[in-house]
Amino acid sequence: MNFKRDDLTKYGLVAILVIAAAVPVLSDSMFLINLLVLMLISIIFASAWNLLAFSGQGSLGHAAFFGIGAYASTMIAVQSGISPFITIFLGAAVAAFIGVLIGLTCVRLKEWFLAMVTFGFAIIVQTLTVSVLAPITGGWDGIASPRLLSPSIPGYQLIEYYAVLIITIASLVAIWYIMKSRIGLAFLAIRENEVEARSAGVDPVRYRLFAFAISAYLAGVAGAIQIHHIGYLTPELYGVDNSFWPITFVILGGLGTLAGPVIGTIVLTVIWEGLKATGLTFGRYVIVGFILILTIIFLPKGLVNLPERIQVWWKGRGRNETGAKPQRE
Amino acid sequence: MMDNLGIFLQIMFWGLYAGCIYILLATGLNLIFGVMKIVNFAHGEFLMIGAYITATIFFLTGINPYVIILLSMLALIGIGAIVERLCFRPILGTGKLNEIFLSIGLIYIFQNGAAMIWGDAWQSVRSPYDGITVPVGSLSVPLDYIIIVAFTAAILFALYFFLKKTTTGMEMRATSQNRKGAMLVGINVERIDIISFGLGCALAAAAGTLWVVSGQVFNPYMGSIPAVKAFAIIILGGLGSIPGAIIGGLLMGIAENSAAYLLGGIWKDAVSFIILIVVLVVRPTGLFGEKGE
Repeated sequence: MNFKRDDLTKYGLVAILVIAAAVPVLSDSMFLINLLVLMLISIIFASAWNLLAFSGQGSLGHAAFFGIGAYASTMIAVQSGISPFITIFLGAAVAAFIGVLIGLTCVRLKEWFLAMVTFGFAIIVQTLTVSVLAPITGGWDGIASPRLLSPSIPGYQLIEYYAVLIITIASLVAIWYIMKSRIGLAFLAIRENEVEARSAGVDPVRYRLFAFAISAYLAGVAGAIQIHHIGYLTPELYGVDNSFWPITFVILGGLGTLAGPVIGTIVLTVIWEGLKATGLTFGRYVIVGFILILTIIFLPKGLVNLPERIQVWWKGRGRNETGAKPQRE
Repeated sequence: MMDNLGIFLQIMFWGLYAGCIYILLATGLNLIFGVMKIVNFAHGEFLMIGAYITATIFFLTGINPYVIILLSMLALIGIGAIVERLCFRPILGTGKLNEIFLSIGLIYIFQNGAAMIWGDAWQSVRSPYDGITVPVGSLSVPLDYIIIVAFTAAILFALYFFLKKTTTGMEMRATSQNRKGAMLVGINVERIDIISFGLGCALAAAAGTLWVVSGQVFNPYMGSIPAVKAFAIIILGGLGSIPGAIIGGLLMGIAENSAAYLLGGIWKDAVSFIILIVVLVVRPTGLFGEKGE
């Protein structure tokens, strides 16, 4: 029986979805629910970064958009009293707007320059937050952020979990739609060969900006949800760490695929939490570093490519035994 | 009026001194980029390792920290060669993004590995010449600053002669000009890759030693910001251009110290990136770069 990779991905995602929806029924551990909420947020964040990378732009400063979404959403919620469920999307729009601005400086730049500019941008935003904007952002101390739901509501954690799950699924569907549409094709064309894409009538600047806007928007959504979930925000959101996590998730799962960020985030979160039990602190990061490097060298297409690799290996093994060419479907 | 001039000169000196560390880092990056055409975002981690090696030897033996510069450079040649062989060579030519991602893995490993060995607290070392100042014109300059500038100049001259006069240096230049051509005339480019990477790391180690002996604090996470500034410098100065790296490093040192004085210390890091972004918007190939790579 032959699975096509697309089918496998689709069934895999649906299976993950069913499990995700069923978890609260199976377990009433609040620790687990909390962990899953943070994991879903990471999935949105990693998918957002992945979409930008899909268009050939590797950002090293996505924490900037994550943080801007969080700060903007909190500010709007505090000032106007609107429910955080709505301000999440307003704050993310601010992140998208700034994403377009930074995208404008980046669209004509090559990989390294773009990486540099985005990395520097996160530092600039952090500096602004703790200096000029300190009166409204609270500087290094941060400020309290309204919770998504008041803890007085019975079962608020479950409601929050399902709400975040729905937002995650909606984000993934949106990204899937973009990747499969003409826009996704245009992203691919630009990534592979910009000159050829241009000669085929694809305007790279427009598409890259679009990728920046959507990616920054989703990163902003992720940041806003996380901050309303935790209830507190500090400028450490803009830290290098926060920029590197989505990259690690995506590389491990599979760059430029829909399922990659999801699988990468789940696998790495499990490893990360598992290592917590061993009592390692810095060692955990060292292990993540090794995982990242080994993945890049030995499994450049990530974990989503693993079934295919095994299949090829399996077929190759068959050929050696019988001396015949492996049968193609 | 005299006051303003004094402050101006003071800032220039700080800039010159900060610039020295950036120049060494940026020159190392340029050397690696020139030969291998890769960009190692983890370059600052080699500065950090150099700093810790210097501090550890100094704490253990108490010998003059300026002498340790040779040891830390030698150690980093070895570490650099291992990193090149195990990490960068397997992915050479598989795409620019892969190099960036691999560097992130290296950053994780080096920073947290160092934190496991040495702890993550801020530390500092007292230079034997601490407190000694030399009068230069109207202001007094710490002797350490002058030694650091002299060391940087000496290292750059040594590098210049190595590249111009020795066979290996010429092979490195040939490889950087045309890799295939270098292979055709019988140069072992993989050997040249390892040497360049090791030398680049050694320059970072020298920067780390100078960082430590000047009395600046250091911790395992210190390397990222100077490394990214070194990137900004080689982009300003043109990729692969060593004179560009020197001029860019000095400009960066002076610019950020002026900003720290005028706007407050918090702006020190951000201002270099603002300069970088402005330059890239106006001139995407860098200030002195002939063409972007």
